[in-house]
Amino acid sequence: MKTRRFMLPFALLLFTTAALAQSAAQKSFEQLKSLAGSWEGTLDGHPLNVSLRVTSMGNTLMHEMRGAGPDDPITMFHLDGDRLILTHYCDAGNQPRMAATISPDGKTIVFDFLEATNLLSSQAGHMQRVTFNFIDADHHTEKWEFAMASGQQMGGLLDLKRSK
Amino acid sequence: MDFKWNDNQPIYRQLRDRVVAMILDCVLKEGDPLPSVRNVAAEYRVNPLTVLKAYQQLVDEELVETRRGRGMFINAGARALLLQGERERFLEEEWPRISATIQRLGLRAEELLDAAYSKTAKQNSPKKER
Repeated sequence: MKTRRFMLPFALLLFTTAALAQSAAQKSFEQLKSLAGSWEGTLDGHPLNVSLRVTSMGNTLMHEMRGAGPDDPITMFHLDGDRLILTHYCDAGNQPRMAATISPDGKTIVFDFLEATNLLSSQAGHMQRVTFNFIDADHHTEKWEFAMASGQQMGGLLDLKRSK
Repeated sequence: MDFKWNDNQPIYRQLRDRVVAMILDCVLKEGDPLPSVRNVAAEYRVNPLTVLKAYQQLVDEELVETRRGRGMFINAGARALLLQGERERFLEEEWPRISATIQRLGLRAEELLDAAYSKTAKQNSPKKER
């Protein structure tokens, strides 16, 4: 009986922590979905547009970069239980998956590499990290970082303003 | 510029190979700056992230260095490094097949040298004007 009394608050604490974690992921996903629309910006001074669309009954957010060539990648965001996940369909032919960490103020979401499909040993690297920084409803930045076989990373910062 | 891409290889690899060819052909010399990401993205009509990936690959191979706030530059010794790599690749990957063909055809070293010299002489001789 004593053991049960001792265990109950502990179990409640675990349950509450899990519930809070889930709501943080859900909250961040809703924040990402609020970006739905068309965005204009630059990456290293070069114009680059982004389109975001909520799809699959609100369960998925599709992110599409729009440059001028055949190499524009698509990224899909969705929840996986208490995690916010993205899958990046890279022009290099691999598909890295990343999980989100959310800053305490909720203004920054960092996605870090978990695993990848079709990542061949002959390929030099893959997309490693994506950081979303929310400035206001019509302005946000995205940092896309690519990791090479040596572990070195290079990133491009996209500064985006809402156009629609 | 309309550039035809090979669908069997990622564009960033093809961009990397293009810079490598420019170094080997001495179009880009050691110490030269790489064209800006912006210019390459505009000229080849590709995503600037793709250009960044290609450049990162060159940094990874120690052919290029990043100078903070100034851009990227061809490393000293980059051409020698590339030549060494390309020679090794030729001897390991291409030479066995060529060597097998030479043996199969029974070609002698003198015949091969004669063929090579006559081709070089043809290439170097001034073209006659019609």
